[in-house]
This record gives sequence, C-alpha cells and structure tokens, in this order.
Amino acid sequence: MDRRTKIVLINVLFGTLLGFTVSNIGFGDYGQLNRMFTFQDLRMLFAFTIGVALSVVGFAVLAGSRPTRTKVHKGIVPGGILFGTGWAISGGCPAIPIIQVAGGYLPALVTIGGVVVGMYACRSLNARYFHLDRGSCGL
Amino acid sequence: MSGFWPAWLGGVGLATVAVGYHLASGRTVGVSGAWDRILHWREERRVELADEQFDEAAFMAALEAASREEFGESGGEGGSVATAVLVEAEAPSPGPSKKRVPHASGPTPLVAQAAFLLSIFFGGLLAAVLSGRFELRADMGPDFAAIVTGGWAMWPILFIGGVLVGFGTRLAGGCSSGHGLSGCGRLQLHSLVATATFFGTAVVVSTLLWKVI
Repeated sequence: MDRRTKIVLINVLFGTLLGFTVSNIGFGDYGQLNRMFTFQDLRMLFAFTIGVALSVVGFAVLAGSRPTRTKVHKGIVPGGILFGTGWAISGGCPAIPIIQVAGGYLPALVTIGGVVVGMYACRSLNARYFHLDRGSCGL
Repeated sequence: MSGFWPAWLGGVGLATVAVGYHLASGRTVGVSGAWDRILHWREERRVELADEQFDEAAFMAALEAASREEFGESGGEGGSVATAVLVEAEAPSPGPSKKRVPHASGPTPLVAQAAFLLSIFFGGLLAAVLSGRFELRADMGPDFAAIVTGGWAMWPILFIGGVLVGFGTRLAGGCSSGHGLSGCGRLQLHSLVATATFFGTAVVVSTLLWKVI
C-alpha cells in the first residue's frame, strides 16, 4: 500500500471515529453546549477534560511527547477570543456544524458557509496586513 | 433529549482519536486546518504538484557534484566531503517524539483532508441514526430558540458565528481538536493559551446569552 492510500484510510477511520464520538458526547446539541459553557451540566466538560487528560498520558507514554514551550504568536489570543465568541453563539467549532447537519439540523449549513467565508478572509487579510506565521495547531 | 455518552466514554473516544491518529500517521488531528487547506485547494494543489515534480535524486546528484567542485575529493577512508555532508543531512535529527511514531513527511495530501471531513459527516450521521436522534429540521432545536433566537434572526446569527469561528480558528492556528486535544495533549504552551482563551471567552458569551440576552 502506498503512503497516499495509507493516509487516506487512516483519515477515513479516525474521521469517522471523531464524528461518531463528538456527536454521541452531545457537542452537536446547542442546549448541551450552552449548559457546558455555563457549568449547569458538567458531563460534556468532564468528557473533554478526560479526553485531554488521557491524551496527555497517551502522548507522553506512547509517543514520548514532552511539554514544549512553544511560541505564543500574536494571533493566538485575538483568534481565541473570536473563535470562543463564534462557538458560543452558533454552537459550532469547525467540526460541529458538519455533525449538526449530519444530525438533521439543516440551518447549520449556514454556519458552515460562515466558517468558509471567515477562513478565506483570514488567509487573505493575513497575507495583506497581519503577516503572522500562524502555524497549524502547533505542527 | 438524552442518550448521550457518559463523560468517561466520550473522553476515551476523544483521546483515542487524538493519540491513535498521531501513532498511526505521525501527524496530529486538526479539523480547522483540514478545512483551511480544502478551501484553498487551488494554491495547495500547486504546492503538491511542485512537490511531485521535484526530483530528489537529481537534486542530490547535483548537490553532490557541486560540493565536489567546491571542496574537491578529500579521498580519505570515509569517502568524499560531499558524501559526508549528504550522510549528515540524511541522518534523522534526535527529536523528542520519535519513539515508535512513523515519520510524516510533508503536509497531509488534499484528498486525505477531504476524506477526513467527509468521514466526520459520516461518523456524525451514524451516531445520530443509531441513537435515534436523527431528525431533519429547519431550525436549530428548542434550546437554540430559547437561548439565542427562534425567529429569522437565527440565519444571520449562525452565519456571523460561523465567520467568527472560521476567522478565529485560522488566526489562532487551530481549534478545539488541534489546540484543545492534540496541542494540550502534548502540553504545548501556545495550545494551552489558545484553549484557555477560546474556552474562557465561550464561557463569558454563553453566560451572557443565558442570563442577560
């Protein structure tokens, strides 16, 4: 099997698992999400925290990852504020509207449209004005 | 509406995706990055084609010839300076995370990114249908109507929210999967700062929507 086929198969497997997991946790449900962010219902918050905690252990033990003092570039905090605001009002991070549509919530297609416009805007504005090396999730 | 997974099962699922994906591919999961590259597929395709056309063997031969010309044949038992330089260049650098993790070279192919997003849809569909939650509807559910709005204003709000998500995640260089899971999971400082920022902001805005507006 060539490398290209292999990475496609890996992406199909883990993409399906991610969609299945995120949907079953309840991230596609706006009420669940709002109750998580307002600490009325801690179940999803625990799911995310347990996910991160197990990932820390998994990355350290299985992949030998160590804590890294990566550079906090200028886009991190403003980007995080814009994203957090958008997430709270639309209920979508980049994966969630896909899962909402998959669950039958058709208006989430509009959220996806917004995400698309926002990403185009970010890349072109960055090229023109900000000139940040934003990296991609610390790759 | 219930039938959602208990927290521990969700946590196990998320960690399996984050760590398992890294072990299998040598890369890290990042949904907003996948989106971004798919949307800019024209530029990304040009880069891919340039990479495919790049003849590494010819490049190395040319480099070796040039080095020989510059430094001459040093002859010794170890071979020429040129070969020594090349051997050094090819030696794997001792990185912190090379234990049993395959080495990924170059960015994920576009077709794989597209497969990733489509698979998220498929996984979500599977979950919704199997749990009996699937229901085609033209609104975002009663909770959205109660907390945000149920009228026509839903459309511009979803769109603006989407723009903020798209713009914000790319400005920050990642989202809840890339920074939240993969970045925090590997204890990377910038991901911890990003996650604290977007989560903190979402808490404030959600509380305002719930209590005030």
